[in-house]
Amino acid sequence: MNPYVPRIAVIESIVDETPDIKTFRLRITDGGFSFVPGQFVMVSVLGVGESAISISSHPDDAEKFIEISVRKVGNVTGSLFRLKPGDKVGVRGPFGNGWPVDKAVGKDLLIVGGGCGQGALRPLILDVLRHRDRYGRVEILYGARTPQDLMFKYEHDVWASVPQGCLLLTVDRVPPGVEWKHNVGVVTRLFEHVTVDPANSLVCICGPEIMMHFAVKGLLSMGFKGDQIYLSMERRMKCGVGKCGHCQIGGKYVCKDGPIFTYEELKLEPDKIL
Amino acid sequence: MGGASQLFKTDLEGLDRLIRKLRSGGYVVYGPVKQGRSWFFLEIDSVKQVDLNYVRTVLPPKKLLHPPREKLFEFKLDDGFEVSEKPTPSAVALFGVHPCDLKAIERQDEFFSQTPEDPYYLARRRNTLIIGLTCTRVDENCFCLSRGTGPEVSTGFDILITDVGNGYLLEPGSAKGLELLKSLGFQEAGDEYLEAKQKLIEELKKSFTKHMPSEGLAELAKSLLDHEVWKETAERCLSCGNCSLVCPTCYCFDVYDVLELNLRSGVRVRELDSCQLLEYAEVALGGNFRRNRFQRLRHWMLCKFGAAGGGLYSSCVGCGRCIVYCPASIDLTEVAGRLRGGG
Ligand SMILES: Cc1cc2nc3c(=O)[nH]c(=O)nc-3n(C[C@H](O)[C@H](O)[C@H](O)COP(=O)(O)OP(=O)(O)OC[C@H]3O[C@@H](n4cnc5c(N)ncnc54)[C@H](O)[C@@H]3O)c2cc1C
Ligand code: FES
Repeated sequence: MNPYVPRIAVIESIVDETPDIKTFRLRITDGGFSFVPGQFVMVSVLGVGESAISISSHPDDAEKFIEISVRKVGNVTGSLFRLKPGDKVGVRGPFGNGWPVDKAVGKDLLIVGGGCGQGALRPLILDVLRHRDRYGRVEILYGARTPQDLMFKYEHDVWASVPQGCLLLTVDRVPPGVEWKHNVGVVTRLFEHVTVDPANSLVCICGPEIMMHFAVKGLLSMGFKGDQIYLSMERRMKCGVGKCGHCQIGGKYVCKDGPIFTYEELKLEPDKIL
Repeated sequence: MGGASQLFKTDLEGLDRLIRKLRSGGYVVYGPVKQGRSWFFLEIDSVKQVDLNYVRTVLPPKKLLHPPREKLFEFKLDDGFEVSEKPTPSAVALFGVHPCDLKAIERQDEFFSQTPEDPYYLARRRNTLIIGLTCTRVDENCFCLSRGTGPEVSTGFDILITDVGNGYLLEPGSAKGLELLKSLGFQEAGDEYLEAKQKLIEELKKSFTKHMPSEGLAELAKSLLDHEVWKETAERCLSCGNCSLVCPTCYCFDVYDVLELNLRSGVRVRELDSCQLLEYAEVALGGNFRRNRFQRLRHWMLCKFGAAGGGLYSSCVGCGRCIVYCPASIDLTEVAGRLRGGG
């Protein structure tokens, strides 16, 4: 199998999440697909290029479809935004490791998302909803720039209704005239409401690296250990299979050894904001 | 290695026959040819074109196994799209590859064989025959001895040639190499050929003036990320990327699409890239995790010291090219020396 040649996927439907994020539901045309929460795919718009995008749907649905939630920031993502249902894209993968769903069995989970990082966390949240008995207490913290920038709003009620859990939302600012009954401020401000027990929990974080930097600082001071804090990292990627070199953080490949690392694994590596 | 005990000898005319035999067998043969002041791996049809006393070529033989630019596949956009893969490569024989470059090829072989395998590199490699050549001299920028990658090698070639003064010793390194030597009717070499080779190696070992021992270097460099040597050296660095371009173990590449003018079909291409270039680590919205020059220089050197992503597979074999071709006279062995506490 040639790992550089994409499989062909058809766009089944598109949901506008925020002014600059859309969720695409894709059906892989040539047979099966399976993945674990936290893995990503390389999505091609042929003629434009390829981007690494986390899978935002649940593995149980993979035989029927996968979803990707994309923020429009440049060439490839901009081209994706011009596509319509029925159009085709290339998909390679899934690549990378995934959230520690097995290690998390019986433990409390603290899930911290920022911006479009919530896409990578959604499969984990859906797993909690579908297999509630596997996990202990589950607290979800999610921050975005403004209320309009929150993804998956149509699911927040369900996330919030998880027994023995909570969903806490925050935004950086509320534009005039917008109704908002949750918190205002950076996502780490929500830490004061966290009740999971640091001694018996795992933390899963995905968001801008500067946000993860402050989150890690806060968590360490709350008594969480570096090897309990899982971070999904973002680096430039050209191959996804550990060959092109671009995604290196010191001695680690984000595409192959990650994209999810514990803070312990990364703390001594160079060239990061963490 | 069943072939190791069987040694052959020949003269210059015999080497010429070897090249002709390879060509008639369908191989395109490349060897070190001198042009101006430098050597280059170029296509050859006779040993007369080759400089058997060369020191190092400008580009390593990497250019023939992991080419500077290559097509990954073609695509058609018409209604949805169709991808077609590229055909298999032609057979290549590399003639006269020095030990440092042989070891570099071995490392690239292992690197590209990791799961998932790189089908382009491996297809080309499987169609490549390698004829090594023991060096006859060492210059002030050679340091394979301290890297454990020369001047003596026992693997990485199909045949190894050594100039022993009054003839050439030919050692097979693979079944293919042994078969080739037998088919050419070369005579068996006596012990005196091996002894002469040993003497040459001992002489070579005494002539090294540059050293960069591997022991503990990766760990040391990783523990000294804040050492002043990185910033000091980077002040001279031009971020030109020459070091990685000429490095036989640098493998990094960029991938991009090229559309035909009809906008209906195109190709996806990969091209050698360099971590010294600013765009290498750029991400969307202007982000860059190695924006500063010292970070890029440090990353490249960590990689050569065995402390970055490729580990041993992308680490330094001591060929000296990056030192020779650096326009700012940056020498990674001096940086390693500073990290070890010298200067
Ligand atoms: C593991 C992983 C998961 C990701 N998940 C998501 C997700 O779920 N949703 C989402 O919207 N974005 C995600 N990203 C970021 C996304 O890959 C980039 O935003 C996207 O590649 C930008 O490409 P562009 O052509 O639109 O932007 P441009 O700025 O035009 O890109 C220019 C070039 O930079 C490269 N590039 C730029 N940023 C990145 C980057 N961060 N990673 C890799 N290559 C980059 C592109 O390949 C392109 O060649 C993820 C990144 C990684 C590494
Ligand atoms: S994306 Fe190419 S090595 Fe990781």
